[in-house]
Amino acid sequence: MTQELKKKKILVVDDEDNIRFLYKEELEDEGYSVTLADSAEQAMQRIEEDPPDLVTLDIKMPGMDGLEFLKILKEKDKSLPVILCSAYGSFKQDFRVWASDAYVVKSADLHELKLTIKEILEAA
Amino acid sequence: MLEKNLVLEVLKEVSKIANSAPDLNNTLQKIIEVIKNKMTFDACSIFLLEENGSRLKVGASCGLPEDLLAKIQLELGQGVTGWVAQTKTSLALSEAMKDPRFHYFPDLAEENFKSLLSVPMVADQQCIGVINVHTVDRREFSSLEINLLETIANQVSGCVRNILIYNQSQRLLKEQSILYDISLAVQTSLKLEHGLWIILSGITREEAGGFNRSILLTVNESSGELHGIMGLGPDSPEDAHRIWSSINHKRNGITEWIISEAEKDEYSRSGFNEFAKDLRFPIEAGNNIFAECVLKKTLFNINDGQNHPLVPKDFLQATGVNSFAIVPLISHEEVLGIIYVDNRYNYQEIVDSHLNLLTRFATHASWVIENSRLFNKLLDTNRELLTIKGQLIEYEKLSALGELSAEVAHEIKNPLVSIGGFARRLKEKIENFPAVPQQKKEIESASNYSEIIVTEVGRLESLLKNILIYSKSGALNVHQGSLNSLLKEVIEIFQTGLFIKKIKIDVCYSGELEPIPMDVQKIRQVLINILFNSVESMPQGGKITIETYLDTHLNREKMATVKVSDTGGGIMPEVLANIFNPFFTTKDSGTGLGLSISQKIIESHGGSIRVENNPGIGVIVYLFFPLKLSSDYTKP
Repeated sequence: MTQELKKKKILVVDDEDNIRFLYKEELEDEGYSVTLADSAEQAMQRIEEDPPDLVTLDIKMPGMDGLEFLKILKEKDKSLPVILCSAYGSFKQDFRVWASDAYVVKSADLHELKLTIKEILEAA
Repeated sequence: MLEKNLVLEVLKEVSKIANSAPDLNNTLQKIIEVIKNKMTFDACSIFLLEENGSRLKVGASCGLPEDLLAKIQLELGQGVTGWVAQTKTSLALSEAMKDPRFHYFPDLAEENFKSLLSVPMVADQQCIGVINVHTVDRREFSSLEINLLETIANQVSGCVRNILIYNQSQRLLKEQSILYDISLAVQTSLKLEHGLWIILSGITREEAGGFNRSILLTVNESSGELHGIMGLGPDSPEDAHRIWSSINHKRNGITEWIISEAEKDEYSRSGFNEFAKDLRFPIEAGNNIFAECVLKKTLFNINDGQNHPLVPKDFLQATGVNSFAIVPLISHEEVLGIIYVDNRYNYQEIVDSHLNLLTRFATHASWVIENSRLFNKLLDTNRELLTIKGQLIEYEKLSALGELSAEVAHEIKNPLVSIGGFARRLKEKIENFPAVPQQKKEIESASNYSEIIVTEVGRLESLLKNILIYSKSGALNVHQGSLNSLLKEVIEIFQTGLFIKKIKIDVCYSGELEPIPMDVQKIRQVLINILFNSVESMPQGGKITIETYLDTHLNREKMATVKVSDTGGGIMPEVLANIFNPFFTTKDSGTGLGLSISQKIIESHGGSIRVENNPGIGVIVYLFFPLKLSSDYTKP
């Protein structure tokens, strides 16, 4: 059980059901505890209920988009690591992206994402 | 002594003649016959002052040897006649030969005439001629005779002046109508050659000076020579007769006739035209008369070509004439060429009034040439505009396509991530499944199926990545980099493949290529694309030649250049037009984005890409890079 308590908590925010499911399965296999949110609003609720150690955040979402939500998150708690996940790399040019801790282009191969999560959590 | 009745009769007859048809020679002849016969003189003559007012020539005579008289020309002030003309005073001499002013012409046997009465013809206070009467016997001219002759002289002066003015206006009218015909005909034809032919044909028309032959030569700026463009004229006297009589038949509707003749192109087959087209004269001062015409911008009327130092003798020999005239064609102060004319077949002297008209034709010819030049320029500009319009449409299509594909790519990306991600998980799950030996085979194929899904999704993902790069090339990450070393690096990647495909590679790096500003990652992608295409074009092996150098591109700045040639047989014509179009490909695999991405990347560097296709041999691709980036290089 102590092992279980030590598990790092990751909040996955993405409007796509299957992506959320995939991330949950993959990240749980890596030994993380994963919670899910399908919008910025729901994510805020989850964070208040149970603060995570790291957030993966999709950019393009209905309602509040990832970049806006990133701003709110960082204003609220600068130390909470946020990894932006997007279907394409073009947002890299947006200066608002600089506030995030990392930027990962979505891929069926989750190797890069897992590596980034690991690096950030170990550095913390 | 004259009777009053006779005086009245003479005046009546003279005024009747003076008011008849405006034919100068006929009128004068009739008048002096009346004078001689009615007033009982033995000879009578009328001298007229030439238009330029310096010499007197015989206008009509009776009782004197006409053929000899025709040769006589008197300067103003010379002889009795010249004195009378100059002083505008009548002179009655009973002993003419004793007068110091008398000028003796032996041929005329003037000694046969004792007395001479000479009266001036004055109109508007200008002397226009002199009337002379002679008698064989000595005669004291009465004041009535002198008065009567002076009265007649006044009447004749008015008549002569009117006829001259009438003739002049007739000539001007004719010139105007010819010029009108010609300009009408010229406007109808937009073809330069036809326009010029029409003008040359005008020059050789009888009413318009009627030069036998004419040649048009134009200034060739690049060679510094006058080039013969066309020649118009008969090849032989028989031919001349045929052409002139056919023109005389077509006097009505001359404009239509000229145009239809021009369109037949028949003139171009004449020997004279062939001769004219081969003419070349260097435009150097003091070299030849044609060059002088261009350089001095004046016309030349050459009467004796053989003894003129600047007339090429071989030219005279070829044309068979000794006299000719040339006028410059001037438009906006610039000499475009010259027109040459001669009278090879009727040997008519070329006179000033003909040259005046020729000059006007020359002005017309200059307009025609200038118009045609402007028209061609207009056509070129229009063509250019159409091309630019086409490019703009293409560009708009591409950018619309770009946005669309970005949209589609994004929508497809998420499901792909799920499919691929779960396929990976599926594969792992199957492989870790604790299977009994009998099921092992089944599990292996299931794992294989998942593997296929994973691979195919990988392919789709890389396609999407290319599309996204294409539609959003993004800002360049520019650093100074060496094209040579980047090229070396890229060739290294291909080395093994080239060996297997039996492709030789020959590289020549220029030592003078300094590092240039570039996004190394993107230029690497370009070089890979270009080399990949070359390799693909040579499945049976071949040779790739690569060269780097500094090139002056489009006469502007120096460009760092990479030239890649292959021996793959070139591009099919129907394919060539599409090679820069996105999604166009001749390959079974590949996105068709290679060249269009390359083009986009190079253009975003301010450079350009050029493909030279040599069907049956191969393709040469030139990549031009500016040595410095302009400030707007990041423009999408």
